[in-house]
Amino acid sequence: MATIASSINPREIDNTADVPGRRAPLITGNQTYGSVTEMVCRVAEDPQPMLWYVLFGFSSLTALMFLSLIGYLILTGVGIWGNMNPVFWAWPIVNFVFWVGIGHAGTLISAILFLFRQNWRTSINRAAEAMTIFAVICAGIYPGIHVGRAWLAFWLLPYPSLNLWMWPQFRSPLLWDVFAVGTYASTSLVFWYMGMVPDLATYRDRSKSPLRRMVYGLLSMGWTGSSRHWLVYEKAYTLLAALAAPLVLSVHTVVSFDFAVSQVAGWHTTIFPPYFVAGAIFSGFAMVVTLLVPVRSIYKLENLITLRHLDNMNKIILATGSLVGLAYATEFFIAWYSQNQYESFTFMNRAFGPYWWAYWTMVSCNVISPQVFWFKKMRTSPFWMVVVCIFVNIGMWFERFVITVTSLSRDFLPSSWGYFRPTMYDGLMFFGSFGVFMSLFLLFCRFLPTIAMSEVKGIMSADNHDAHGHDDDHGSAH
Amino acid sequence: MSEHKPRKSNESKPPKAFGWMAEYVDEASLLSASRKVRDSGYTKTDAFTPFPVHGIDEALGIKPTILPFLVLCAGLTGMTTALLMQWWMNGVDYKYIISGKPFGITPASIPVAFELTILFSAFTSFLGMFALNQLPKFSNPVFTNPKFDRATNDRFFLYVSSADKYYNRESVKDLLAATHPESLDEVMEDTTPAALPRPILLGAMLLVFAGLIPGAIILNMRAGFSNLPRLHVFFDMDFQPKKKSQQQTTVFADGRTMRPQVAGTIARGQLEEQDPFYLGFDPAKISATTGRSDLMLVSTAVQPPEGEPAPAEPAPAEPAPAEPVKTEGTPENQPPAEQPPAEQPPAEGEMPATEPATPTETVPAETAPSQIPATPLEPAKAVEPAPAAVPAPAQAAAPASGTPALNLPWVEKLPIEATEAHMKLGKLKYETYCSACHGYAGFGDGLVHKRAESLLQPTWIPPTSLHADRVRTQPVGQIFHTITKGQGKMASYATSITPKERWAIVLYVKALQRSRNASIEDVPVEDRSKLEEAK
Repeated sequence: MATIASSINPREIDNTADVPGRRAPLITGNQTYGSVTEMVCRVAEDPQPMLWYVLFGFSSLTALMFLSLIGYLILTGVGIWGNMNPVFWAWPIVNFVFWVGIGHAGTLISAILFLFRQNWRTSINRAAEAMTIFAVICAGIYPGIHVGRAWLAFWLLPYPSLNLWMWPQFRSPLLWDVFAVGTYASTSLVFWYMGMVPDLATYRDRSKSPLRRMVYGLLSMGWTGSSRHWLVYEKAYTLLAALAAPLVLSVHTVVSFDFAVSQVAGWHTTIFPPYFVAGAIFSGFAMVVTLLVPVRSIYKLENLITLRHLDNMNKIILATGSLVGLAYATEFFIAWYSQNQYESFTFMNRAFGPYWWAYWTMVSCNVISPQVFWFKKMRTSPFWMVVVCIFVNIGMWFERFVITVTSLSRDFLPSSWGYFRPTMYDGLMFFGSFGVFMSLFLLFCRFLPTIAMSEVKGIMSADNHDAHGHDDDHGSAH
Repeated sequence: MSEHKPRKSNESKPPKAFGWMAEYVDEASLLSASRKVRDSGYTKTDAFTPFPVHGIDEALGIKPTILPFLVLCAGLTGMTTALLMQWWMNGVDYKYIISGKPFGITPASIPVAFELTILFSAFTSFLGMFALNQLPKFSNPVFTNPKFDRATNDRFFLYVSSADKYYNRESVKDLLAATHPESLDEVMEDTTPAALPRPILLGAMLLVFAGLIPGAIILNMRAGFSNLPRLHVFFDMDFQPKKKSQQQTTVFADGRTMRPQVAGTIARGQLEEQDPFYLGFDPAKISATTGRSDLMLVSTAVQPPEGEPAPAEPAPAEPAPAEPVKTEGTPENQPPAEQPPAEQPPAEGEMPATEPATPTETVPAETAPSQIPATPLEPAKAVEPAPAAVPAPAQAAAPASGTPALNLPWVEKLPIEATEAHMKLGKLKYETYCSACHGYAGFGDGLVHKRAESLLQPTWIPPTSLHADRVRTQPVGQIFHTITKGQGKMASYATSITPKERWAIVLYVKALQRSRNASIEDVPVEDRSKLEEAK
């Protein structure tokens, strides 16, 4: 019965505008439950396009280079990086914060938008969550190898040590980071996996080959779609969302404590937690848009990830980008208003000191470039939104660079000032972490359900229900 | 494991039936059918749907889950665990003393407590979902009919189990048929073997076994002993070219880690080490008598401006007389034949007139420090030899100081002016720092001394009276030196009193001494009458 409607031009229906009286559909092309299944499963079942192999070959080679460089780093020492007095927190921490920030969009979309009943999240949450986990993996690598003796990184955990006879220092924000990022990584992973179980069962039931059937069968844990199971599942999902929402805010708050709890001018500010969280959402959404625009076009998912979804995300990017701009302005205001000479110097130094180029790159990419999203034409143009989002990600990397490096390179004692210079390995390893990220994301597209089918179908059901004008007489649903 | 096997029923024995399964195309017909089944009194029912159909719990009569309660308990457990852990680890078992901050549960414990609350709750939601649903369950009658696969795609199934106490095969079939299902099938027993296929089982066991090997090796190493030398994975980390006491280093060519002062530089505070104003004696005079120019590292650098306006002319000429003085002073350098660096003294003897810079390049480590500062500062040599060539006054100066303890060329003349202001400053500082022991008049009868005497302290050494002959004859430089460095039980006051204030104290002490040993001649003639009146 299900005619696959991907041939319908998604622009025929403009679902980016709401006509009064009736809500614009979230997915386009007169989809049925079967056609949604067909569209999503095709991504993993059909042979992959040539582009996938080219991209995967390139990113896996890059990832391999990254892993080899980690080996070289462990054998040689962190001296291969440009970390040098006075900037000992250089690119590794910049990259860590950059990746953790990107890893915030997924859980935000899944959890906070779920709690706010933003139904448009259903088409994008799966890919965003996957991106979150891969970004957190990339983030977790950096502190692990930055500790110098990476084989002793487990000393971060409070375990009864026979060698040390001591415990970690629980008043240190760096230890809070271990707990926050660890909790975030594992909770995001189970959230992502639990959300995927019903879709994995769909994959299992459509599998032709016994091997696929067995692997997806194992992964889906014997999910049958039983209503009794769905009831517990939905409750668990809501609980996880309610738990993940404060968690996602706490993680970047704790990451900002790494800086804010210290006494370095330019770090020691109370604005850091909200400012970091806004920046994290900003960069995370930019990364989601950057990834989803090519994915929807390569895998012909325009009817599921519609322009309305992209439009909504771009609105969030505009809002958070402006918030970040407000935070930059507030920092300057407080630097002046506090009349603290170190604080004032640090901010003047950021904007007009030796790192002026990094500061103004950050401002133009983060504050100025998203302003084009005031125009609907730009918000709904896949090409321009990717361009802006790439600028946003460049800008957000520079934001972390500016915060970390400018404050450290010129602190209280002019005699200890310095100018940070990265080495070749800094650059290659940052590039390599993109290889890890992209390889994992491409494997995800290849083997796992990129769109939460069961959730999309649930939204379709609710929309049909509204359209028929029934009263909601079916008791408590959520 | 049923999914990967062909799901046809086994031919050998008739499979058991588990109930009826009705298929619907949309959720509305499923819901109305469910209500009918519920109203007919069946409770062992279930629906299989591709997404959670809203209202199905009420339509089927499904009870709410206790999962939220479990999650609440887990969250409280997580928070308690975190707080107890931090309290015990940092407040009891291993206290970190940081800026006097309190131990135990403090606001700094909140982040970890929050994260563990979330962690425990999240994993309870996740694991609780599977546990309450009795998953994973890979063998399920629902998997036996390929038709039922559409339950995860686009169809809605209603199931009445044969386990229901009112179950009757025919009546249930009639009931479901009356709801106009798309199809109606009997659910058959899953007869495929539930056991894992042998190769997979073997592979999994092998993998688990292989995974245990590294841990076993580590455990064995921790528990056992070995006579083999240690394995140096990171050789350059275990053997670093760094400073170790009593050992040569490979970092510098001369094998030493302490570096001599860089030629032509003056370290912070080094000038003061050479200035009589800060010392109370004149180091230039010592180096002149002993020939040890290393005591004069930098004083030469200060002197050129006051030396001859054209030092370039005498500079190359003067070192010649300077060198003999030096070699006399240090006899080790004199017999060149016995020294390992045999070519060194001749080189010194021949070269100095022509080129003063080259000797520094060739000198061995022992003489390097004394040579380095002198050579780049050519004008220095021009000035320094001057007193060296005339040792007589310097040697005369040494016995002049008189005290057997310290025989230094003391400063004889006060370097500050004897003004009213300095006298007042000296009095103030003397009464602040000195009078406690030495007394206000300097007789060594300060309050500390009186208290010690009243307590009959046996180890108490009485403070020196400043009016003792021994002290009275001391030059000003020596008194200054005593204040600066301390003497006997008296501690150094260099950190408490600035050099200028110390000189002011010296001035005041000298005045005190004079006042106790004065004759009428010391009083100006016009004031003598006042004294007479006072009597």
